Amino acid sequence: MKAFEVSNPGIFTTIQDLGRPGYMKYGTPASGVADSFSAQVANLLVGNPPGAALLEITLFRLELLALNDLIIAVTGGNLSPNLNGKSLPMWQALALREGERVAFRARKEGFRAYLAIQGGFSGREFLGSRSVFVRGLMGNVLQTGEILEIANPVTQSIPFRKILQEMIPIFSNKNILRVILGPQDDRFTQKGMETFLSSAYRVNSQSDRMGYRLEGPTIEHLQGSDIISEPIARGAIQVPGDGLPILLLWDAQVSGGYTKIANVISADLDRVAQVMPGENLRFQSVTLEEAHRALREEKLRLERIHKMVAGENCSGNTDKI
Amino acid sequence: MPDGPKIRPSGDSAVLVEFENRIDPEVNRSVRSLALAIESEALPGIKEVLPAYRALMVVYDPLEIKYRPLEKKIYFWIKKAKNIDLPPGRFFRLPTVYGALHGPDLQRVAETTHLSPEKVIQMFSETRFMVYFIGFICGLAYLGGLPESLRVPRLATPRTLVPAGSVGLAGGQANAISTDQPSGFNYIGRTFVNLYTPHLFPPVPFLSGDEIQFIPVAEEEAMKAKGKLAMDFL
Repeated sequence: MKAFEVSNPGIFTTIQDLGRPGYMKYGTPASGVADSFSAQVANLLVGNPPGAALLEITLFRLELLALNDLIIAVTGGNLSPNLNGKSLPMWQALALREGERVAFRARKEGFRAYLAIQGGFSGREFLGSRSVFVRGLMGNVLQTGEILEIANPVTQSIPFRKILQEMIPIFSNKNILRVILGPQDDRFTQKGMETFLSSAYRVNSQSDRMGYRLEGPTIEHLQGSDIISEPIARGAIQVPGDGLPILLLWDAQVSGGYTKIANVISADLDRVAQVMPGENLRFQSVTLEEAHRALREEKLRLERIHKMVAGENCSGNTDKI
Repeated sequence: MPDGPKIRPSGDSAVLVEFENRIDPEVNRSVRSLALAIESEALPGIKEVLPAYRALMVVYDPLEIKYRPLEKKIYFWIKKAKNIDLPPGRFFRLPTVYGALHGPDLQRVAETTHLSPEKVIQMFSETRFMVYFIGFICGLAYLGGLPESLRVPRLATPRTLVPAGSVGLAGGQANAISTDQPSGFNYIGRTFVNLYTPHLFPPVPFLSGDEIQFIPVAEEEAMKAKGKLAMDFL
């Protein structure tokens, strides 16, 4: 079933799901939604499994024309979504009529928004995932005039679902990232480590889903920046010879030969997704225990929403849409 | 090895097991044996096992298995891996056209190494390169075994686009680049065999431990491999 015609593809809009973990040994990054919490909530709101394929919208300009009556939800960064020129409420399920237009006008907060549709978006699967990974020749960004289809059309109405205000993430509070030091923290001088942990780094405009290039005080190596190439974990911060860190993210290469000073903890990666080039980042060292506790909390946060949706008491409102 | 491999965290969901710090077939065998020992047990909570030259990464879900027990398990596997026989690698013979349009750096490699272009081709094409591991992006195979006399530095300025299948060398390494991409390697030839198939599983034909030889053929012959899979050249 047809969902939308793309009137304007926006800056960089892709179909994503939870990605394709398990193929790094074939030189393939997992890719998938950058802000996993926002994306999964969007899916739950429209009655999808949390990992259904949805649109990841970057910054603004995306404009879609509904080709059918649809149920959608928009979450993530606030990119001023609107419906037929009026403000479109985020973090809740919404019914669209055929012929209506959804557009993202301007960035207010965050960097990436998610638009889920009841039934999920279709799109070619590569290695079991619909996540677009442009550099790996797995799908492409949205194109003008492209028709987006629904993977599993459902005609059933669902209860009106809305996320409670207190459960919506606040994206202004995102610029201190917690890190686990290493694995090559012993390849930097003490001064280098101090520089890294005490400085603000500006996200360069050449940043994308592969990685964020950071500008700021250079980090001093002890004995050169090269290592024998080895695997790279998501969230690794590598420091090449010029001393400027690069934060490696969702579509990054899976191996490389530069020293890595630290690794952003898993629980903070969703927040990285909402950091826009031009903004500053700082790093704070934490223990593994702290990182794992934070990850458990993240999981519980999503489980609470899952339960609310299952119990259908998100808002106390039982209207059907 | 005096102290044995080191284990350290690489973020909160991966650990790195480090063997001797050199590119060496024996060290890499230890890495691959350990990978096999871990994979054969399929412990819940272990998500990926990634062999590299001299390090192995184990990606885990910290909500399923904690760091300390995992570390203990890995020490156990390191012992167990010593008795593992690795399956033999496969041997690929890829038709390759050398020089001219398809090998823009052949002449310079010859000048740098003080060898004739013919000698460079002969030495390179007689080498059975070992696949140490697959990584980077689009399933790039990291190859070792380049003869010492073919050691040349990387280009000072990397090319912005090198066509898929280009066969090249730099430092002590060689590669056959799997998709069109930027690279600082010296390219001396090209194979038209398809080295990356994102719509198929596995997306890359090689595994660590496999061997590859780049057999010199005429351009016409090389072109016949267009669209064929590497499996056709075992």
